[in-house]
Amino acid sequence: MLWYTTKRLIQGIITVWFIATATFWAMHQVPGDPFVGEKAVSPEVEANLKAKWGLDKPPLEQYWIFLTNMGQGDFGISFAQESRSVNDIILERFPVSAILGILAIVFAGLGGVLYGALTALYRNQWPDVLIILLVIIGISVPSFVFASVGQLLLVIINQIVGFTLLPVAGWGDISHMLVPALVLGLGTMAFLTRLMRSSMLEIVSADFIRTARSKGVPAAQVFSRHQLRNAVLPVITVLGPSVASITTGGFVVENIFGIPGLGQSFVLAVQQSDYGVIMGTTVFYGAFLVLMVIIVDLLYAWIDPRVRLE
Amino acid sequence: MALLEVKNLHVEFTTYGGIVHAVRGVDFSVDEGETLAIVGESGCGKSVTVQSIMGLIPMPPGRITQGTAHLRGHDIIQSKIIDGKDIRGNFVGMIFQDPMSSLNPTMTIGAQIAEPLEVHRGQSHRDAMRRATELLDMVQIPEAAKRARQYPFEFSGGMLQRSMIAMAIACEPLVLIADEPSTALDVTIQAQILDLVKSIQKETGMAIILITHDLGVVARLADTVSVMYAGEVMEAGSVDDVFYRSAHPYTLGLKEAMPTNQTGRSRQLKPIDGSPPDLFSPPTGCSYAARCPHTMEVCLENNPNAFPMQDGHQAKCWLHHEECDVVAEELHQA
Repeated sequence: MLWYTTKRLIQGIITVWFIATATFWAMHQVPGDPFVGEKAVSPEVEANLKAKWGLDKPPLEQYWIFLTNMGQGDFGISFAQESRSVNDIILERFPVSAILGILAIVFAGLGGVLYGALTALYRNQWPDVLIILLVIIGISVPSFVFASVGQLLLVIINQIVGFTLLPVAGWGDISHMLVPALVLGLGTMAFLTRLMRSSMLEIVSADFIRTARSKGVPAAQVFSRHQLRNAVLPVITVLGPSVASITTGGFVVENIFGIPGLGQSFVLAVQQSDYGVIMGTTVFYGAFLVLMVIIVDLLYAWIDPRVRLE
Repeated sequence: MALLEVKNLHVEFTTYGGIVHAVRGVDFSVDEGETLAIVGESGCGKSVTVQSIMGLIPMPPGRITQGTAHLRGHDIIQSKIIDGKDIRGNFVGMIFQDPMSSLNPTMTIGAQIAEPLEVHRGQSHRDAMRRATELLDMVQIPEAAKRARQYPFEFSGGMLQRSMIAMAIACEPLVLIADEPSTALDVTIQAQILDLVKSIQKETGMAIILITHDLGVVARLADTVSVMYAGEVMEAGSVDDVFYRSAHPYTLGLKEAMPTNQTGRSRQLKPIDGSPPDLFSPPTGCSYAARCPHTMEVCLENNPNAFPMQDGHQAKCWLHHEECDVVAEELHQA
């Protein structure tokens, strides 16, 4: 188990290095630089700034400096935001994205398992048909559409009740989080529902369920102890990758709802060619996703004893 | 009254293709310390018979349309509860054909054996686990304490079936139903499992209903036999009567299709020609008539009742009608 974890972490570091390298070179291939903007900078000032931030050095040397700094946990500074350190920006903005993401995952996971179990229990009856219809919508409609529709609905609801029941955009307390998190988790929830449904239907006719019933185990206990735990395994498997889709979905949803998360700052940084922030955020997200996948794998082994971690 | 008595059981399944009449008027009974074997080819309704009594077939599509089943005089078709307790796992234990898939892959063996004790006896998890270890020891699994904490994938097929037996007898049931307990195991393990079941029966005096299509297993273990075909009991009686004084052409056919130790042309295997009737629309006459070497006119038109002979031996065949001139001796010569 310990050796397995170490091995996976080493693999993870290699993955992150690859992401960093690819991003670095791709970024330098994109035309423009941090100084191409609305406000023209005189060539002398530009040369000064480039010298200050080391952008006049050959790319390979820049790459090396970037790598060594990153190895020490330093992502450099932002060119666009008054020389703030990228670490500082990540530290300020990531918790916002993380809360939103965790909430979305919780919505998606709980909703998926719950609705999936419901559809399986009421197979081919109206709750099943209704939920599956919603699932199709949830899977096919992109999150920015849900975000816009969600905002529109919020405006209408707030107008009907006459006060701000839930704010339409912005960030602050839990009331700001609910709708964006729901919107963010909706696609994943739909996907998990469908997965859970087929998994439940497969398990319900399994031999060991019959065995449990032949022991006189009450139906509720057969459901919780024997059926649910086995049915939830495939859902756990896809939770890792779904963290990725929720994170990338966060870029869009954060922008629409005006949430000051890392996704919003990333989109802004790309528009401004803010090299430091782009690199820092990408590597940070990459490392985060790799870590999530490893955690899910460990979790899987804990739930399913057949998975041996060696 | 017998310990478990089933009378005129009918089970149907509604499918897209129509209604399958899987079990059509089955009777059997079993007493304490006795072993009843239900034999017959695949699809003849042996498993459905016992699983429907135990409420283990999905309903719908399955449904018991007629018949009674009494355990110590209690009607167990109407209600699986006796004295406030579920009979399953408590008064009746069951083991199944494929031990690999019949155990929950994400629960330890010990916890699965402990489960009926917790459910029926209200034992604490710790006490039940201790008892589970004893039971594993009883079914001759070495290092039971360690094994109880392991998962099914860490066990071999034979050990899993032993664990299934431990689970089924945890609450000291009156009846053990063994649904093809040795079919999925290799031959040497089969013998061990059957011996184990028999020795437990000697200790506890429980009744056993053994479902199998292996006549060798029947000879080894059973006291009485019911031969099933197309959802009906064709012949029933003591092992000796059914094996040595077979009264139904189907039983004779089965015996001729069974390999023996003898060699030579006379001992060539004789398959039974044809295939079992379509249970979507069972024949009005005898269901074996289409394959029987002795078919008479009456066989095609009327389904015979069971004709009783001596010592509870009975056969569902017109050859035993008093007006029929083919006698038992001739039947065996044929």
